[in-house]
Amino acid sequence: MLARRSVQPDHRSTASALPVIDCQRSCALAECERGCQAMVVGMGCAAPDACRLRALGVVEGTRVTVVDSRNGMLLSVRGSRLALGATIAAAIVVVPMDVAHGAAPDQASAPPAAVASHT
Amino acid sequence: MSAPGRGTLPSRARPHPDAESGKRVLRVALLGNPNTGKTTLFNALTGMRQQVGNFPGVTVERVEGSYRGPAGERVGVLDLPGSYSLSASSPDEAIALEVLLGQAQGVPRPDVVLVVLDAQNLERNLFLASQLMELGIPLVAALNQVDAAEAAGMRIDVPELIAELGITVIPTVATRGEGIDHLRRAVDRAPELPRPARRFVLPPPVANALAPLEARLRLAGLAPSVAELEALRLLALSHPEAHLAGVVGLDEELARARAALERADVNPLSLEAELRYGWIGQVVERTVTRPRHEERTASDRVDTVLLHRVWGVVIFVALMAVVFQAIFSWAAPLQGVIESGIGLLARGVEALLPAGDLRSLLVNGVLGGAGSVLAFVPQIAILFLFIGFLEDSGYMARAAFVMDRLMRRVGLHGRSFIPMISGYACAVPAIMSTRVIEQPKDRLATIMVVPLMSCSARLPVYALLIGAFIPPVAVAGVFDLQGLTLLAMYLLGTGAALVAAAVFKRTLLRGPVRPMILELPPYRLPAWRSLGVSVTQRVVLFLRRAGTIILALSVVLWALATYPKASVPAGTPAARASELQLEQSALGRMGHAIEPAVRPLGYDWKIGVSMVSSFAAREVFVSTMATIYGVGGAADDGSQTQALRERLRAERSPVTGRVVYTPLVALGLMVFYVFAMMCMSTSTITARETGGGWIGWRWAAFQFGYMLVLAYGGAWLVYHGGRALGFAG
Repeated sequence: MLARRSVQPDHRSTASALPVIDCQRSCALAECERGCQAMVVGMGCAAPDACRLRALGVVEGTRVTVVDSRNGMLLSVRGSRLALGATIAAAIVVVPMDVAHGAAPDQASAPPAAVASHT
Repeated sequence: MSAPGRGTLPSRARPHPDAESGKRVLRVALLGNPNTGKTTLFNALTGMRQQVGNFPGVTVERVEGSYRGPAGERVGVLDLPGSYSLSASSPDEAIALEVLLGQAQGVPRPDVVLVVLDAQNLERNLFLASQLMELGIPLVAALNQVDAAEAAGMRIDVPELIAELGITVIPTVATRGEGIDHLRRAVDRAPELPRPARRFVLPPPVANALAPLEARLRLAGLAPSVAELEALRLLALSHPEAHLAGVVGLDEELARARAALERADVNPLSLEAELRYGWIGQVVERTVTRPRHEERTASDRVDTVLLHRVWGVVIFVALMAVVFQAIFSWAAPLQGVIESGIGLLARGVEALLPAGDLRSLLVNGVLGGAGSVLAFVPQIAILFLFIGFLEDSGYMARAAFVMDRLMRRVGLHGRSFIPMISGYACAVPAIMSTRVIEQPKDRLATIMVVPLMSCSARLPVYALLIGAFIPPVAVAGVFDLQGLTLLAMYLLGTGAALVAAAVFKRTLLRGPVRPMILELPPYRLPAWRSLGVSVTQRVVLFLRRAGTIILALSVVLWALATYPKASVPAGTPAARASELQLEQSALGRMGHAIEPAVRPLGYDWKIGVSMVSSFAAREVFVSTMATIYGVGGAADDGSQTQALRERLRAERSPVTGRVVYTPLVALGLMVFYVFAMMCMSTSTITARETGGGWIGWRWAAFQFGYMLVLAYGGAWLVYHGGRALGFAG
């Protein structure tokens, strides 16, 4: 399994209503944990898979939320739930976003991804 | 497929007269993302007036229906396969695109396109709609499942949406039939309205880069709006599809357009998605109000359990066990009713006709055959009801996701799971549904192993043998040994299918596994009406396609068992006479001829005959046994299967005097039927789906051969293994 990397909150973005994207922090989608929000910045998968993902709404610049990461990836994308296998989740490059501004889907029940660090 | 010059697009704006009746006919193509309730809407629109066929040349299922429009005209609706886009990443989506462009063989270009939009998922659904708007065909949108969207706290401003899209949008709740009349009127009026068109403008550098490509496409005869659609769509594809084969110099022009875009710092691969979703984002912002915080939905909470890597699988297997138990116990009484009806008819014929060949043909051949066909109907109906329920409730996608891990282990994609599950009902539609698998080698491997999944045609064989030889002992209160034996047969077939797939993917069909990308729709309660329509459709399809073959075979078998006439000495008891007749008939001689081959399995010539006769369709086994043992149709108690079971239990070898059907023989026979490929229809469909012609038939022959080896080996192991362990053989 891939090592999961926790997401540190970006304190520079506190003044701005829009999340600040730090391109140096880009990582594979597979490394994000449940509750994490991220912006898609690249697709490292085969062209037909990328084409299918884009049709399903996973486009460069799209914000996705990780709903479940126990078994492959369950994403919330544009209001729909998308299940991705581990291989494809490892091929999608994302920039994790500051969860303080967006609302994590289960903030009440689970700690924000930034706190759930075990690396 | 496409000949040069077929790029010309007929622009047919008006409904055209029906050639037969001279009345107006409106052709509507129904399209939408998977999980939008499209089939439910189709069923609500057309009711039972449906026909199922295939698109010519390919085996994508073609479902058509019709209704009488508000102005009294006939409206023909073609239900196109569910698609997320027109970018044709699967054969199903390719067919949809060809139909919409008027390029599909034998399918005229539709007059109106009806797109189903899931109100809860408007943003994603509008991607397909935005492509359809550029086809130059009148477009109507059904905004379906508005009730669920409202329940989730969403508000959709429909008038604003109509203004943004420039097309008619009708809110519907297909499961309750709401909005259907409005939709029919909107479809009727659509040809009079201005054509929909692209609602966003390309940035100047993009427009400049694409202009030569669009010009090239227009030159090939494409309408301007279609040329714009194609130019944008083609950028992300590795190669243009067959319908554009006639466009001269397309590849070069496409390469130039991509280079020009890259010079302008634009990614040609993501351009279409970025432009369309950029526009869609604005539309959604103006028309949809949703709760401020994206809440954890009820479906998400259910999924924490159902998608669990252990519990998810446990629940799935338990669900399947319940399904099979239900099939076994619900179908039996219905089959009893059917058999009593056939028995009544048989007695009627016997009362009307004098004894002789004609009466025998009608009673044993025709009515016996019809009985074995109709006996299937309850099982097929119940199984399709369950599969339909799982599909419509949204669970099927979860099952595919949960099973992806297992499928990947054998080298297949989670997508292969749905065809394999469908194989429990019938291998023919299951093999047809492998078209959702994009990777050719995965598809081929799935096709090869699908017939190992115990289809409903094996049920009568299992039911006959289990009913006769497995005692109904209760196990753990809820289940009984009969139900569990049935489950074991299904698990054996499923296990064999997985092992065979793993072997094929590591040897003959070695190749990478495509990654899992699957939408999980929210859970919802299926519409019973629509489920009923779908189940009826499947049953009719079975009766038409398989039923006729089985009936014809029953008559042929009757003839083989009746001729040549045996010379029976006068005064022989009737039962002995019929046995002598069978032994000396053509069928009996065939049975004797293969007896040496089946003797190592513990079978006599009578079982051999039934096996030979069921190589065309395995369910014929039961009717042949009925013929051989003289209980076909004419059973006094009105229950053919029950009579046959009693006859089998009593059967003794005329040579040794020992019981023929020991539990080991019965179990071995069941194992044989788990593995053996005994279905002409499946072989035909395999040949067609694996490339057709010589190549296809080679795959079909390979499938038949390897399954026969498995079957013989399995039955031999059970019989001899059992005897070695000390069970009575």
